[in-house]
Amino acid sequence: MGEAIVITSGKGGVGKTTTSANLGTALALQGKKVCLVDTDIGLRNLDVILGLENRIIYDLVDVIKGRCKVHQALVKDKRFEDGLFLLPAAQTTDKTAISPEEMKALITELKRDYDYVLIDCPAGIEQGYKNAVAGADRAIVVTTPEISAVRDADRIIGLLEAEPIDPPKLIINRIKSQLVNRGDALDVNEITTHLSIDLLGIVLDDENVISSSNKGEPVVMDPSNPAAIGYRNIARRILGESVPLMSLDTGKPGFFGKLKSLFAK
Amino acid sequence: MTTKQQFVTIKGTKDGLVLRLDDKCSYSDMVAELRRKVSENSLEGVAEVKVHTGHRYCTEEELREIMTIVHESPHLRVSKIQSDVITMDECNQKIVERQSETYIGIVRSGQVIEAEGDLVVIGDVNPNGKVVAAGSIYVLGRLKGIAHAGASGNEDCVIAASWLEATHLLIADKRETMTDELTILSEQPEMECAYIHSNGFIAIDRLQELRILRPNLSTFKGGS
Repeated sequence: MGEAIVITSGKGGVGKTTTSANLGTALALQGKKVCLVDTDIGLRNLDVILGLENRIIYDLVDVIKGRCKVHQALVKDKRFEDGLFLLPAAQTTDKTAISPEEMKALITELKRDYDYVLIDCPAGIEQGYKNAVAGADRAIVVTTPEISAVRDADRIIGLLEAEPIDPPKLIINRIKSQLVNRGDALDVNEITTHLSIDLLGIVLDDENVISSSNKGEPVVMDPSNPAAIGYRNIARRILGESVPLMSLDTGKPGFFGKLKSLFAK
Repeated sequence: MTTKQQFVTIKGTKDGLVLRLDDKCSYSDMVAELRRKVSENSLEGVAEVKVHTGHRYCTEEELREIMTIVHESPHLRVSKIQSDVITMDECNQKIVERQSETYIGIVRSGQVIEAEGDLVVIGDVNPNGKVVAAGSIYVLGRLKGIAHAGASGNEDCVIAASWLEATHLLIADKRETMTDELTILSEQPEMECAYIHSNGFIAIDRLQELRILRPNLSTFKGGS
């Protein structure tokens, strides 16, 4: 029996889908059997980021409405030997096409065959969010060091705390080291104190995240990329390893400089 | 008439006239006699009376009827209606209002915590989170959201916090948005309280001043 983790944020554009794709890939790289579920019905992108767009035949709504079997709709990522699968969202309908109960039944079914079921949640707190959270055992909240994203994260954490799931964990995405060093952006400590939930990891801002997404190859495949290291560390923490949080010292200026020189080696 | 017990008596006390209504007789008998007494009253000028209903519980409607009857006399004005009894509901409500409720946890954006008496929050109130109480609000943590004390109109209520950095403060029907000016005034928003100043506006002061500003908040009476 595997574990279902929902990846959510409240605000759009903070990197839920990128995080889902990269964490799924990182877990598959660790030899786990992973199924990614895109619940952003009507605005699907996870397939594009994984480079699996042209292999979709059936989708989430087809499965739930019984138009096909689950295994028919799952798209296999050929880079991994039976390690990574995607259940794409439907594009021609909207979030109201399915209900939280139907979603829960589907996730329970998937958990039987996979070690990890990662659910990519749409932005917002309406039907799409409710569907995505329904079957989850744990939740990961993604935010960026911007006040608007942190506010929305606070709102979503409040909603998640009311659900019968484990306390949510936090990922701070797109940290711009220069901005933090200059004191122009919220620092990691500030965000974690404000939200007061456990920090699962941080991901540095990197141009390659976008360029590799455009190529349909998650950045985490490149082991030397700083953002990839962040994602790999998070995946290891999900697996229960204790990886030291490089984030905890970011308050001190110059830490990222040290970190950079470390990467440069 | 002389053997009959009087259901309605008017007495002059040092606090003024008191209209005492018997609480043993039937309501209709009492009302009938009140009507008679009021019309035959030989007072001159206008006097204020306190109506005392004793151990009889009167509904709002009955109280209104009594008021109307008394006001039929051009010489009498009701200043106050007193009673020795209240209903269980009113009593329970009073107990609830005096109680202090405790919330442990973070009041996050979009959440509203409401209390019928005082409210103690052990944790932060984040921006866009709201705490509302009929009594006072005490936050053991950072108050960064919205707080409304004395929500049912009590202007003596206060809002105190370990860190008072609220976006909006409301006490009774007064409202204060935390402008830059106020933030500068409270450069270190640690251990502060908000209250309605005698000038009618919400003011912020050190928590230590509360002892002088609102001595009645203490439930311990007497000196030591």
